Amino acid sequence: MTHSDPDLQETMDEGPDDKPVPPFSGIIYGDIIYWGTILATLVVIAGSIMTFVAKSSYIDPTYLLSSIWEGKSVEAIWKGAVGAQPDGHWYLSQLSNGAGLTVAGIALGVFSVIPGIIGSAVYLFKEKQFLYGSLAVIAAIITIYAVVV
Amino acid sequence: MPELLKRIPELTALIVLTIVAYAIMGLFSEVHGTEVLTPFAAWAIIVGSFVISFLIAIISVLGGVGGGVIFTPIMLGFTSVDTLLVRSTGLVVAMFSGLVSSGPFMRTGLADIRLVFYCAIPIIIGAMIGSHFAISMAQNMGETGDAIVRLALGVVLVFIALMFILGGSKTEYPQLKYIDKFSQKMRLKSSYWEESLNKTIHYRATRALLGGFLFFVVGCIGGFFGLGGGWAVVPVLNLVMAVPLKVSAACSGVLLAIGNAAAIWPYIIKGALIGVFAAPWMIGQVVGGILGAHILTKIKAGFVRNILIVLLFLTSIKLIARGVETLFGINIPLV
Repeated sequence: MTHSDPDLQETMDEGPDDKPVPPFSGIIYGDIIYWGTILATLVVIAGSIMTFVAKSSYIDPTYLLSSIWEGKSVEAIWKGAVGAQPDGHWYLSQLSNGAGLTVAGIALGVFSVIPGIIGSAVYLFKEKQFLYGSLAVIAAIITIYAVVV
Repeated sequence: MPELLKRIPELTALIVLTIVAYAIMGLFSEVHGTEVLTPFAAWAIIVGSFVISFLIAIISVLGGVGGGVIFTPIMLGFTSVDTLLVRSTGLVVAMFSGLVSSGPFMRTGLADIRLVFYCAIPIIIGAMIGSHFAISMAQNMGETGDAIVRLALGVVLVFIALMFILGGSKTEYPQLKYIDKFSQKMRLKSSYWEESLNKTIHYRATRALLGGFLFFVVGCIGGFFGLGGGWAVVPVLNLVMAVPLKVSAACSGVLLAIGNAAAIWPYIIKGALIGVFAAPWMIGQVVGGILGAHILTKIKAGFVRNILIVLLFLTSIKLIARGVETLFGINIPLV
């Protein structure tokens, strides 16, 4: 089959029907995030256990769940628990208790996107995909900005 | 299933660890009861949340919609949990199945990294704007803001449900008739091995500029409501940019993870993500997400659509009713 548009013809004639090999820039991105997320899940599981079995906790989990189900606002929940709503990466100073460790685990999973994007960008440049390597760098910068600001 | 568990030892390990963890939390609990919840009720909420999240993750990965579009409306419509808290946890639900499915999707070539990065920039920017606006609205408008969010989300859901119905003409392998100049320059083309057909599928995206603009809008709405953006990513990729349906669903999962990774930080920093509440939802998404990603490579994903349409319509009715009740002080008798 032929097509009058050479670009469309090029798409149809991509090559033989062999199983295509996915680009390494994609595999590295997926693998970093995959294992980062699994590591983060282990941290969250550990944090959840600590929250329930520790004799004393930063914030009592039943108080939290009760307040949440009563429909209290985020501000009211934090005021009732520790006096004030946090501002910033509060969980980093609370890693020794369940509440802090659980949020740190979730944050680690979210953060794994950044090394994933950077790793992929490196291989996109190596594969001479300069446009998409640059887009990956921009995506990483915006995500880092969201973490910091 | 047993074969899958053997092939993916990390999935088996996570399932076993989660069961052991919840058993320890139930048997050796040191938490105290309150007037509202006994320690057992608190534990039951955690375990129940995990099970529901696990099921949502499988459905959402197969449909390429992200779990936020199921979680957020149901929680806002049928519980009294604070809207900001629902939306922050909604982003966790929306993104973690996408995060963990990125690995299998990239290894099988179902998701294309260049397509993902092209669509990611407008989604990330839109999602950040949406989430900052959500937090500022919650801080300044209180209960009226909550009612407006519920009402607006109800309307958005009706639109999404209609989009799923009208999107019935979606093709699994769209035929390209025209490629605009910009899309030609972007060279968004790739190929993947289609197991159900036992052959390689070549595809090329078109209307890249229009797609980029739509992704920005999707990012804004997803970040504001805590829906993620998966409900619209698949239609935009498939209907507007002519990307095969399965690739659209896979790219949607990966894009959700990137887009929401930026949107969720303002919630974390302001304490709007509470660990004990979000944790079971996150764990359920990871375990269900791995399972869903491996099922997607083997099945046709269309059947999830009808369940989603019914769910979206029912939830939208409840949300609109609750929004109107609070805003206008009237009582609408609904279950």
